[in-house]
Amino acid sequence: MTNGTSPMLEPVKAHPGKSFKHDRQLTRLRFSPCGRYLFAGGLEPLLHRWDLETDQKISTPGHTSWIGGLVVDPDPQAARLYSADYHGNLCGWTYTTDGVRRAWSVTEAHSSWVRALALSPDGRWLASAGMDRTVRLWHAREGKPGPVLAGHAGYIYSAAFHPDGKSLVTGDLFGVVKEWDLATGKAVRDLDAKRLHTRKENFLADVGGVRALTFDAAGSGLLCSGLADAESNTFCPGTPCALLLDWRSGQTKQEFRIKEKADGFINALRFLADGTLVGCGEGQSGAAVWFWKPDQAETYHSIPGPTGYDLDLHPDGRQVALALFENRGRTGNGRKVERNEYVPNGSLLRLLNLYAKV
Amino acid sequence: MVHTETEKRPYECRSSEHGFSRRKLLGMLGGATAGLTGLGSLLRPSLAAEMKAKERQVLLIWLDGGISQLESWDPKPGTEYGGPFRAIPTSVPGVQISELMPHTAKRMHQLAVVRSMCTQDENHSTGVPRILRGDPKNRGVDYPYLGSAVTHLTPESRNGLPPYIWIKPGSGGFIYQHAGFLGAKYGALALGDGKPPIHIHRPGKITEEVDEARNALRLKANARFRQGRRPSEVDAYEYSYQTAQQLMRRKDLFDDSQLAARDVERYGTHPLGRHLLQARRLLEAGVRFVQVTSYHWDTHGDNFNMHLDLVPQIDRPFAAILDDLNDRGLLDHVLVVLMSEFGRTPKINQRIGRDHWPEAWSLALAGAGIKRGVVVGKTNREGTWVDSTPYDVGHLFHTVFRCVGVDPTKTEYVNNEQPLPVVRDDCPPIQEVLA
Repeated sequence: MTNGTSPMLEPVKAHPGKSFKHDRQLTRLRFSPCGRYLFAGGLEPLLHRWDLETDQKISTPGHTSWIGGLVVDPDPQAARLYSADYHGNLCGWTYTTDGVRRAWSVTEAHSSWVRALALSPDGRWLASAGMDRTVRLWHAREGKPGPVLAGHAGYIYSAAFHPDGKSLVTGDLFGVVKEWDLATGKAVRDLDAKRLHTRKENFLADVGGVRALTFDAAGSGLLCSGLADAESNTFCPGTPCALLLDWRSGQTKQEFRIKEKADGFINALRFLADGTLVGCGEGQSGAAVWFWKPDQAETYHSIPGPTGYDLDLHPDGRQVALALFENRGRTGNGRKVERNEYVPNGSLLRLLNLYAKV
Repeated sequence: MVHTETEKRPYECRSSEHGFSRRKLLGMLGGATAGLTGLGSLLRPSLAAEMKAKERQVLLIWLDGGISQLESWDPKPGTEYGGPFRAIPTSVPGVQISELMPHTAKRMHQLAVVRSMCTQDENHSTGVPRILRGDPKNRGVDYPYLGSAVTHLTPESRNGLPPYIWIKPGSGGFIYQHAGFLGAKYGALALGDGKPPIHIHRPGKITEEVDEARNALRLKANARFRQGRRPSEVDAYEYSYQTAQQLMRRKDLFDDSQLAARDVERYGTHPLGRHLLQARRLLEAGVRFVQVTSYHWDTHGDNFNMHLDLVPQIDRPFAAILDDLNDRGLLDHVLVVLMSEFGRTPKINQRIGRDHWPEAWSLALAGAGIKRGVVVGKTNREGTWVDSTPYDVGHLFHTVFRCVGVDPTKTEYVNNEQPLPVVRDDCPPIQEVLA
């Protein structure tokens, strides 16, 4: 804040704020609507919360596998969040200044990994989706099951509610984005994000998928991100790619690329208040945070760093939190490694202020 | 005759046991009118057992790039590096493998799994040939690949089929390089995508008589060409021609219309499924050594999504071929080896992948000479290091040779008058897996 007013968004002058290290890779990250807390989960069965006022971390058990989905109720009064894991388990949580408490849980809500959670704008409906190719709706406050939406042919990686609360979109491995009418529980249409899927003759598996879905505030544009033109199913290198679809027509309005050398997924994207975009992902040269203008295909700014698995926008719209990879020693690939040096890779949670340093 | 021919060669197995059995066998075949079964009953028990051993075949399933041991044979759910997959019980009480292998789990009682492989090479470029040659000590020569070695060290089959067939994705051809110093004849006949050599079908306008005349002319030319040249060059050519001729007589082996729809479904329509089904047909026909290779298991990126789709591609056809070999009574004669050049790092990299890990990985064996329903060796709680006697490629090669009836301690190659061990001489076989 400067003289009681918010500083102007200037991503090119972005500078780091607080950061926190963690000893496992964190792949899901969300702010609380009050902006005080940062929730995260990843390659372990724990839900973490960092208090940005006190820097205190609490870790809460409750899952049995990796955290595949994490979403926070936008209503600060509700003080709720939801998480899901790779064993198909689903948890509802409440939080206070004292900590995080499990409100409900559903064991094996899905028969396989849950890879996406989304919450309706009014906080009533929770959507879960994953590798069993089904979308399941839940009464979020109670954890009671609602309709099951079936129709995807591929694993589902992403989900988002339209801001009007009437539609849900889910994205799958094959680049199919389905729009579901929540009133009827029917699939209304398929949107084409097949650019984000590759299967070549010599591949053993399909590569890519719609890894993230995000609407703009007005609900007129839908961002789909992932990887295009994959070259193999081993390293999974390709072209980081995001598609902006016009919600009304379903047509691709823009395909976003990375200006620098990069060959991995765009893992997460958000619209900023000025209509520009911020994203993170894997980069060969390590460019991890990227910025686009909606009318330009290439990034106009990048911030070097390690791979970014997820990001979230602070409620004030002027900070972004990033879940970044932290290298904690050699994996052992190509070179011998000492036993006492062998520890899991970790994460760096970094806040990034999207304005000029005062 | 065979013995005389081999004496001329600059390279040959110098096993007295081997020579004896060949001479003995030839003599008996010459003097006996009985079939092989009847003949077997006349043999001393030790020789009968040896003959049985000599009939043994090998199926090597090679998952190129490296299947993750944590997502297959040695799951560590709930640990730091264990990944998101569960472990499931198998048909052997107390033994669990990854949930990605439900079909194999039901056949665990037929398998021996070695969880304590610890090898030396972390790189594909050196690791693949190093492992497939048995990781020999550097003696200044190119050792043969396992397929070439086995076909060289075991008696020539009477079916005339190529003894070493390599089913692989992509293109085919005769891969003489596999033979190393044994000479080109012992190379692999590679069947690209499991398909036969392209000229297996004689053109319709060429009659059998014309074909025979052409062949006679070719033999004359060969005889002339042979003068003054190293025998192995002509032998290899002649040999490959003969095997091609034999393959032409066995076109049925490649006729997919003869396959039962149920088999196609059981093995799967993906390349590994189709290739293992083709391997079964070749083994049934008596091919000595069949290698089936599947590429692209090198999951440095997106390891878990990839293994979710990759492992079922070996799980189902592997279970199917175990069933089929067993049902046909072939599992007592065919040694099955399922392996990669290494495992994958327990540590997860920045692309959510696993890298190369030779320190602690697993492989599976079944069939001829192998104890059934055993797990050998173990890794520590996190799956990072071997926590029992480590086994290297040399141990594996000793084990394979034992299973096909070759005693590596009594058998050696002779290359240009230099005696060479057939496998590393500082490794015993993996005794715990031997029946």
